[in-house]
Amino acid sequence: MHYFTITRSVVFALLIINKAGGLIFNRTFAPGLQKLDSNDYLILAGTFHGIHAISRSINPAPPEPQTQPPATHPRRPITTGIESLESSHFRLTCYQTATGVKFLLFTSPEQPNTEVVVRRCYEIFGDFVMKNPFYNLEMPVRVEKFERALAGYLVRP
Amino acid sequence: MSVYSFYIFDRHTECIYTKRWTEHHAPPTSRPSATGALSNGAADVPVATRRAMKLEDDAKLIFGTIFSLRRMVRQLGGADDQFLSYRTGEYKLHYFETPTQLKLIMLTDMRVGNMRTVLYQIWATLYVEYVVKSPLAPTEHPRGVGVANELFEGGLERFIESMFSPQP
Repeated sequence: MHYFTITRSVVFALLIINKAGGLIFNRTFAPGLQKLDSNDYLILAGTFHGIHAISRSINPAPPEPQTQPPATHPRRPITTGIESLESSHFRLTCYQTATGVKFLLFTSPEQPNTEVVVRRCYEIFGDFVMKNPFYNLEMPVRVEKFERALAGYLVRP
Repeated sequence: MSVYSFYIFDRHTECIYTKRWTEHHAPPTSRPSATGALSNGAADVPVATRRAMKLEDDAKLIFGTIFSLRRMVRQLGGADDQFLSYRTGEYKLHYFETPTQLKLIMLTDMRVGNMRTVLYQIWATLYVEYVVKSPLAPTEHPRGVGVANELFEGGLERFIESMFSPQP
């Protein structure tokens, strides 16, 4: 009997990295990635934080021609780091907020609209973590409402 | 739709070929005082040497980045997972590795699609034909010896031009 494997678009995991490169949140929502222990995730977050910074400095694109001359000294062109990474088994979408917090979303390669999904995760983070008066900034996230809202949004029943 | 640069690294982690299609712009100094030519207090280093060091540094940074990303992808996706490409807000980096651990890396602008077949073709029809099969090129290429021969360079230029030339 032949079983056809249906590759469904699915979200595997979400990692949140703080401004300094430390992992503050890590949750797996569906199987598909290798099982790593919490130490491995910490190392991975730190490594990615460094790679993100390097990917900004190796930018080869020529600067856009400026329409008016800069007022005082030429401003450094604003470069962004890695926004999306493709591998054969997963896609990683990285959203960096204005405060330096990075949201890493691991999905299957067919998952559409990963940008929308990661923005929604950021909104949920803002609503349940940032607005929580007991949450210390840049510390690991241990907010139950946040985890429930995230699971409700990301896990397909 | 343009290509910015192309690198080849061999299995000894050395950069054996570099090709740039853009002038690399040096980032401006953070000091607002406009004392003209020299920056960062490096008064004695001539511009040409600094540019050469910058190119070398870029190649090393790129190698470090793809080495770490490759390791990360293997850790997350399993031993058979392969890192393919990444995209930032300004450029896209495409990666292709041969079974002999030769790494071909191409940086293009963001709108370019999957370049895996292009990199495979560069390897199969240009590198293998003009470098590996060249009777004058050594088997190993320390510091890039034997790779940048005329046939390979010319073939690469023509290939890239045919792919990325503006459509009439």
